[in-house]
Amino acid sequence: MFMGFARHIGEMSHLTANIALSLVQGKVSLKSIFAQCYEQGIGSLPLVLVTAVLSGIVTSQQGGYQFTSSIPLYILGSVVSSSVVLELGPVMTAFVLIGRVGARITAEFGTMAVSEQIDALHSLGRDPVPYLAAPRVIAGMIVTPILVGVANAVGVLTGLVSARATMGLGPEAFLYGARLYWHSWDLFYSLSKAFVFGFMIPVISVHMGLRTHGGAEGVGRNTTTSVVFMIITVLVVDATFPPLFLN
Amino acid sequence: MTSTPMGITPMIEYEDVHKRFDAPVLSGVNLAVMPGETMSVLGTSGTGKSVLLKTTIGLIIPDRGDVRIDGRSVYQDGKGSLRELRKSVRYVFQYAALFDSLSVYENIEMGLDPEALEALPKGEVLDRIAKSLENVNLDPRKVLNKLPAELSGGMRKRVGLARAIVGEPRIVLYDEPVTGLDPVNAATVNHLIISIAERTKVTSIVVTHDIEGALEMSDRVALLDSGKLRFVGTPDEFRRSTEPLVMAFADRRAAAAAALKMLAENEDDNLPGSMGSGSTGARA
Repeated sequence: MFMGFARHIGEMSHLTANIALSLVQGKVSLKSIFAQCYEQGIGSLPLVLVTAVLSGIVTSQQGGYQFTSSIPLYILGSVVSSSVVLELGPVMTAFVLIGRVGARITAEFGTMAVSEQIDALHSLGRDPVPYLAAPRVIAGMIVTPILVGVANAVGVLTGLVSARATMGLGPEAFLYGARLYWHSWDLFYSLSKAFVFGFMIPVISVHMGLRTHGGAEGVGRNTTTSVVFMIITVLVVDATFPPLFLN
Repeated sequence: MTSTPMGITPMIEYEDVHKRFDAPVLSGVNLAVMPGETMSVLGTSGTGKSVLLKTTIGLIIPDRGDVRIDGRSVYQDGKGSLRELRKSVRYVFQYAALFDSLSVYENIEMGLDPEALEALPKGEVLDRIAKSLENVNLDPRKVLNKLPAELSGGMRKRVGLARAIVGEPRIVLYDEPVTGLDPVNAATVNHLIISIAERTKVTSIVVTHDIEGALEMSDRVALLDSGKLRFVGTPDEFRRSTEPLVMAFADRRAAAAAALKMLAENEDDNLPGSMGSGSTGARA
């Protein structure tokens, strides 16, 4: 098991190095990067907005319930903004991207691998790394922080609206509470986490897709394994960030 | 590097090629294919025919041995050499391996060398693509903008052929070109391989199960069995061969073909409206 894990890490490091090299050598088409940004960014936006809205509402509701008659309600502004910006915005967006982008990339590349389209690319003198993998990984690193930024803003805003609607907490009080414990670093922390997720999700999905074999069954198996790897990676990275950057 | 008594260097040369996955697949294959020659490699499923073909352009790397193209080693001269060699070799995949998201035009365009593609005016690229489609009996006006999913199996194979020949390669490798095709489409593809070879003098290796097609289109045929070449010779030598393996292979194929023919005839007899014994529809 350890050898298998080490082999995955080694192959993904090799893939990352090749992506960086093809980028430096100018082999990656800007048109493909824009197309992937559109596909990953605009395509994922509706689902990201839905999760952001629900995250904001749930945090606001639960926080308000716990604070009733014990802690000043304006603190809810801080709880909602911190929870959404530090944790829920990046992680929920990452989960959306795993399901919508990562699984799709693995299935797409897996199908290409089992139907010999990847071999065809090699035989036609096209390297799949700059041609297929790099645009997806670069697009992931560009759009994920933007999506997380949008999710953060929408999550806090819906938290504010929800607090007003159900607990009667006015926007001024909510924003006062939010500003009271706000650190600019939090936003940088949130977007940095998003950047790492935006890199890891496509790298894992591309890697798992390219090593697919065994027909339709292999595509299904590798897509499932890829999703599991991506979820675990996101959770491990998420758990690694606070001790490294919030102390 | 070997050369013939006439001093001609083989276009493709396999030297002691070994490959093993869970079990040995190729066990010391030696074969030389001469310039302009069409060589068919026959053998039952799982004997390593496709693996041998893929070692030619580094899609599968042999464990031992070497492959030389026009005297240059595919494996011992570094990755740059492999990239360079791939420009002159095209591979026709078993199920065409067309790119799903690209149109027929874009698929065939991929057959042109990337550097050559940048240098060519758009009009000339279109002309070349149209010509390559005409060479495989497809009407460019009808298929150029279609996606692979909109084509029949036979048309996809022919687009795969067009992609292989558009860049005017020196070598074309065919991996089971008629597998999955009906006899009419299979005959069409076999004739296209012959006409491409005659017109362009390209060196070809055809991996196939189709004995009759192979004997018709090839200058020489080879029989691969258990990872070793058991026979290499002309179609006439193959037909006359008394080698037990050659005879067994030919007999097995002939027996299978006869059985299929009989099955087809029986099915025809059983069709509603026919006069066969099982024809309930005709009697109703």
